[in-house]
Amino acid sequence: MRTSDRTSLAAGIIIAAAVLWAGITSDMSAERLASSGGRIADFLGRMMPPDPSVMPEIWKGTAETLRIAVLGTLGAVILSVPFGLMASARLSPGWLSRPARFILALIRAIPLILVAMLMVGAVGLGPLPGVIAIAFHATGMLAKFYAEAIDGVAPAPIEAMESAGAGPMLRLRYAIWPQMAPVIARDTIFRFELNLRESLILGIVGAGGIGFYIQTYVRSFQYDKAASVTIAVALMVVIIEGVNALLRRRLS
Amino acid sequence: MTDSAIRLDDITHRHTPGAEPALDGISLRVDPGETIALLGPSGAGKTTLMALIDGRLRNWSGAARVLDEPLSSLRAPSGAARAEIGFIFQEFALIDRATVRQNVLNGRLGRTNAFSAFFGRFSAADTYAADRAMADAGISTLADRRADSLSGGQRQRVAIARCLAQEPRVILADEPVSNLDPARAADILTLITDAARQRGATVIFSSHQPDLARRFAARIIGLRDGRILFDRPAGQVTDDDTDKLYRDAPAPQGDGALRLVV
Repeated sequence: MRTSDRTSLAAGIIIAAAVLWAGITSDMSAERLASSGGRIADFLGRMMPPDPSVMPEIWKGTAETLRIAVLGTLGAVILSVPFGLMASARLSPGWLSRPARFILALIRAIPLILVAMLMVGAVGLGPLPGVIAIAFHATGMLAKFYAEAIDGVAPAPIEAMESAGAGPMLRLRYAIWPQMAPVIARDTIFRFELNLRESLILGIVGAGGIGFYIQTYVRSFQYDKAASVTIAVALMVVIIEGVNALLRRRLS
Repeated sequence: MTDSAIRLDDITHRHTPGAEPALDGISLRVDPGETIALLGPSGAGKTTLMALIDGRLRNWSGAARVLDEPLSSLRAPSGAARAEIGFIFQEFALIDRATVRQNVLNGRLGRTNAFSAFFGRFSAADTYAADRAMADAGISTLADRRADSLSGGQRQRVAIARCLAQEPRVILADEPVSNLDPARAADILTLITDAARQRGATVIFSSHQPDLARRFAARIIGLRDGRILFDRPAGQVTDDDTDKLYRDAPAPQGDGALRLVV
């Protein structure tokens, strides 16, 4: 048997074992699976028609989600500048940039919802834990992007300006900044979009925003109201994506 | 003698300690206003020699004066001294997202008031020099285009205009025509040498095409293995001279003599 055949066989056995183990041990009887289709249909029926009377709550929740995303992104930008500089392989020595990159990878590995739950425990309910959680979580990605923007600056134009007699401040202004700024703007807008999407669910763990209303209405069996909020969330995501696609095209 | 534009005495440089010398005992005098071609195969030391004159080379031995300023092997010249030497880079080294006009104005950064320039203000003298350079290079109509929207030939003209806007007294051009067909190569060399003549600047360009060197330079310096093989008026350079430069020369491996390092 060739090595690749053995690898395929081993992979097949592992996958089959995983599926079997999950299916047998997860208390999903065939009857329950068969009847759940009807239950889901019944549930969706109770969501119809969506109750429009919750518009004030939707506006309030949306505004709070937006505030959390804006302030959380601002916090991430402020944190990402020093961390980005530290993680840059070009600006920082290896003893600084490698640990900085490792810490950022660790931060990225912690899911936002987990950070938010911890922050709710630390500072209490409301938008504040949401802002802190977003700022912390987003820094893991944004600081890495900033470091890559710094490291992606082409050295040749810097050298050309130095050769023409330009001092360090003018080289920063005319050679480094024009190469970096559009990349940083694009990355920050992208991260803002992710922050807004992710902060929609923060309310579920009590960290503020529109997610709070989804959770409240579902728990109190007001599915028609939950449906309205869900539609509002979906619309918001579509609008954000459209706006960001436009902005990013201008920055390319 | 103080009226030389460039004076080099016994310059030796190795890219890494213990390596074969990239420049091996180069001595040279250049008078103001001369037009010189550096001829030689890849790896002969042309780019390294021009980097030395541009004040970018460190760790060399010997004595060098450019425009009556001694060069140091240890540190870069002052900004004012560097502004007197213009360099046309082989890869152009433009800011892609900036306009043609801004790229050309970037050539003024060593000449203009640094404080004003930092806030985006350039003097009338800067604007005049940039406009004149763009007109000479034939790119006035492209002034508001972004550099990354231009063709390769247009980008090269921007790089030349940036150098002319700098109003240098010495113009160094690294392989300005190595990738061009003969007609375009002649256009570019005409542009560089004419503009330099109008401005009274000394020109040194490197090339590995003997016919172009003969046609556009008054004097040709043949380099091989970091040494000067011949240094004569262009009219006295024979086919035998140029044959010696290339005979048994190793195959070109890109002009990797000097890598850009930050």
